[in-house]
Amino acid sequence: MTLSVALGPDTRESTQTGTAASTDVLTAPDIPWNLVIWNDPVNLMSYVSYVFRSYFGYSETKANKLMMEVHKKGRSIVAHGSKEQVEQHAVAMHGYGLWATVEKATDGNGSGSGKGKGKRG
Amino acid sequence: MAKAFKYGLKGIRGYLEPAERELLRSLFDDVISMLAPAKQASQDPLAALVGLDPEAREPSDRALRRLLPNVMKNDGDASLEFRRYTERSLRESKIGALKAAALTLDREDLVLTAADARHWATALNDVRLVLAERLDIRDDADADNIHLMQDWSQAEDVESYLALVYNFTTWLQESLVQAMVHSLDARH
Repeated sequence: MTLSVALGPDTRESTQTGTAASTDVLTAPDIPWNLVIWNDPVNLMSYVSYVFRSYFGYSETKANKLMMEVHKKGRSIVAHGSKEQVEQHAVAMHGYGLWATVEKATDGNGSGSGKGKGKRG
Repeated sequence: MAKAFKYGLKGIRGYLEPAERELLRSLFDDVISMLAPAKQASQDPLAALVGLDPEAREPSDRALRRLLPNVMKNDGDASLEFRRYTERSLRESKIGALKAAALTLDREDLVLTAADARHWATALNDVRLVLAERLDIRDDADADNIHLMQDWSQAEDVESYLALVYNFTTWLQESLVQAMVHSLDARH
């Protein structure tokens, strides 16, 4: 379930060679969906950060930053991708016990932000 | 008394008293029976093979809903559709982790491989999510109140007992995650 995942700007940067052609390929189709993690009072901060590091391969710094955003703002967009990609991540996050949803990238601009705290389902 | 998990050369080592092992075994079993579908939802062998469950519904039980949440916040139909394709395998992977964690409790020495530790971390997390729903932990203030219950002589009723169990599993998971973070750091 947690196999071979590589996404997000962090992992892309290291393999980008900066040619015009590869840039075109990357921006070509669409990156229209977000993976959102919601705050809850149960999941340990250390655990959430560990999941971001081990599943997404994020650095400790990035994982902690996203974890704190979940904690303080009630939610955080932790990954982007095609609908299928973020859905796959959501199932993996549910496997870990994190509260994850997917949304169209345009839905995330403010509309749901900050409303998650203390509310369920 | 249990000892915190520690990362070392042989893996992640913990220590639990027999009564603590029994407690954890029964907690893991409880969550396994919650997650096990009440009936074989689909007898269609092909559907079963691909993990499809046309009968899947959003769970009415709060705790189960937290373990198996909707994938979209404001789209019940799309979430249900998704649930039919994914919920069965999600249940199975959670049950698998809980069973694997329970099996390690039979070992005399509680030394966990990396895979064991991952199973333990998710198993403990699922147990805590269920206990938290039973304890009605809705926000950080609720969690802080529960956290004050640390003395087993305070266990007077079911709720205070559950709170103590919750705090024990929280402590155990925190120590396990710290050990897993050390093992992650050691590989870099």
